[in-house]
Order: sequence, then structure tokens, then C-alpha cells
Amino acid sequence: MEELITSGKLELYLTDSLPKNEKDEITAMINKHPEVQREVEKIERTLLALGSTVAPPISTQMWTNIIRAIDGVKYLPKKQETTNWTAITGWAAAIAFMLGLFWSINKKNNLQEDFNTINTQNVVLLEDNKAVQNSLTEASEVLAIVRDKKYKSISLPGNQAVAPEAYANVYFDDKTGVAYIDASGLPQAPEGKEYQVWSLKMDPLTPSSMGLINSGTAISDENRMYKFENLPETEAFGITLEPEGGSETPNLTQLYTLGTVSR
Amino acid sequence: MKQPDALILSMQKGDEASFSKLYDMYNKAVYGIIYSIVLDKAIAQEVLQDVFIKIWNNKNSYDVNKGRFFTWILNIARNTSIDKIRSKSFKNSKKNLSTSNFVDILKSSDSLNSRMDALGVKKFIDKLKPTCISIIDLLFFKGYTQADAATELEIPLGTLKTRNRNCLKELRTLVLD
Repeated sequence: MEELITSGKLELYLTDSLPKNEKDEITAMINKHPEVQREVEKIERTLLALGSTVAPPISTQMWTNIIRAIDGVKYLPKKQETTNWTAITGWAAAIAFMLGLFWSINKKNNLQEDFNTINTQNVVLLEDNKAVQNSLTEASEVLAIVRDKKYKSISLPGNQAVAPEAYANVYFDDKTGVAYIDASGLPQAPEGKEYQVWSLKMDPLTPSSMGLINSGTAISDENRMYKFENLPETEAFGITLEPEGGSETPNLTQLYTLGTVSR
Repeated sequence: MKQPDALILSMQKGDEASFSKLYDMYNKAVYGIIYSIVLDKAIAQEVLQDVFIKIWNNKNSYDVNKGRFFTWILNIARNTSIDKIRSKSFKNSKKNLSTSNFVDILKSSDSLNSRMDALGVKKFIDKLKPTCISIIDLLFFKGYTQADAATELEIPLGTLKTRNRNCLKELRTLVLD
């Protein structure tokens, strides 16, 4: 041991001046023998002191610069990158999600609105369709009556004194006692008044009420076609304007049309 | 000096506080080595910074069971300094670099630190034999191998070993008293 300590190898070991194999031997000896280690420590202290004496004053900034450089190397690029990417990705995802959500809600609302509108339109169209169908059915019915040979067609021209422009048509089946009145040539009855249809026997002049021209007798309001049944033997038809609900006897001052049944 | 293994191990785990303590223990000696090679305070400070950054970045390549921490950082300091003086930028700025050893540095009073003043510069230098100065300069400050130093000084290897030991022993009594 003493031999190693005085050999000068320990000094060369510390300044790293020995070949590799000798270095390894001495490392092993230091780890094994505390007295060798103590000697090495003493030489090291000497060298440290010697090195220090040569050193000019060191800037007080030095350590700050070193630690800053280390932290920069160690954390900044990595940390900045990961933080930024995580945050950016996160925020981007959140924003995209929110935009998507708003878009979806908006889209849904629009679609709902469209749906409601279309639904309403459908109902309206359905109603229209129904009305058209009804109107068509009524028109067909009216046309069928007008065309039917069993009905006698009687024109009731306007009373010159009361309503020269007015007219009416009667389609009359004297076998079954059914008459249809086409009132499209009569002006609209004023408020509180209704047209009343009379069946007349001429000799002596005997009027008997057939009924009122209103929704009760209408087969088609649109076409102003009205149906009357169980008629007595009739020679002429007359239409008067009467107070709502009709009268017992016709008010001849308000006789709008009159026509005889030809034989 | 007992090697602060606990601090070294803790630094190797990434503890900056331990690294700071190690810096306090070794920075002056490291700086002395660097300065004796580059001979320029500004450049030496640059190199010192680089050396400690290298120590930190390579901290895990040092093994406490396979050599002294002191020797490990001494090598980093010498290699980094030599790389620096060989660099193009350094050569351009310092064309006529005078050969100089640690004693020349000690003699130029402005570069001395307070510790050295207390020690007594004159006494220190006067006591060191010229042969000691060149041996220590080559082996410690310049990082010569024993074979290279023996060749350089034209002495047998055995003589180099003995002289180096005796020189450092003399120095030890001066420094460690």
C-alpha cells in the first residue's frame, strides 16, 4: 500500500495521465483500501487549491447563466411544444365541438321549422283538395241533374217590376214531385231576408210554399242549386223575397221571378 | 477532499440544488484550468459556462465507482478549452498567443483572487522549483499523458513520477496548512 502511495501513480491518476489499465487498477485499489482513498483525497485538495489560485474572479452572473441554459435545454423546447400542442389541440377540439353543436342545433331548428311549415302546407293542401273534391262532386251532381232528361227545364224570367235582371231555372220531375232550383241568376238575399219558392195552381191562383232557398235545401251552395221534394201538382213556380224563416203567403211586391210549367 | 458522492448521485437524478452545490465546490478550480489554457477572461467565462452545461448534460456518464468526479470534470474542462483555442474564431482573434504557464498567470497580479493574496503569492512561487512548474503545468493544466510529458521534458518516466509526487507534496504543505 505504502509502495502505491509513494509511487507517484496516484497523482498521475488524478490528472488522468495514466494509461487505461493502470487507471483501472488504481480505481480498484481506491475502492478497496480507505488509506489509498484518503491519500487520493489529499492530492485532489491540493490540485483543487492550485487550480483555484489561478482563477480570476468569476462573474456573479455565471451560475444564473448556466442554470438558465440548462433549464432552457431541459424544459423549454419540450415543455413549450407539449403544452402548446395539448392546449391548442384541446381548444381547437372544444371550439370545433361548440361550432358543431351550434350548427347542429341551428340545423335542427331550421329543419323543425321547415317541417312545421310543410306540415301546415300539407294540411292546407289537404283541405283545399277536399274542397276541390267536394266542389267537383257537387258540380258533377248539378251537371247530372241538368243533363237528365226526366227533368223538365223551366225558365223563370225576372219580374220587370222588381228585378228585371234576375232569373232562375227549375228542373222539375212531375212524376216524382222533385224540383231543383238553380238560383244563380238571383241577386244575393239582403241581411234578414230569404228567398222562398212557391208552387202555384193557376185557377184559382193558389200558392203553396215549397220551402226556402238556404243551406237547408242546398245541394250545392257554390253552384246555388237547391232541392225540393214532395211537390203538389204544379202549374207555375215563383220566387219571392221574404223575411228570414219565410211567410205563410207570398209577398207579391217582392216577386222576383215567375215561370209556368209547359204542358 | 472527500468526494461528495451523495450530491453527485442526487444531481444525476436531476436535482439542480445539488448541482448548484457542486458548482460552488468546483467552479474556481475548473475556471483556473480553463483560464490557464485560453488566457482570456471573457472567453474563459464562456468556456466555464459550457463546461458546467456539459457536466449537467452528461451527468449520467460519470460513475462514482469508476474514477474521481474531480478527474472527470478536469477532463471536460481541459478538452473544452483546447477545443476552444483550436477553433477558427479563437485563432482569428488571438494570433500571437504567448506560451504561458500557471506561474506566469500568478505573477500577473490583476488575475489573482483574494484567496491567493492571503496565501502569499511570492512565497508560493518562490518555493516551487522550475522543474515542478513545468511538470505540474503539463500534467495538470495541459492534460498531457505521463508518456507525453516525459518525452516533452526529456526525462525518464520514473523520474517524472517521483518529481511530480514531490512537487505536489511541497505544494500540499503550502496549500493545506
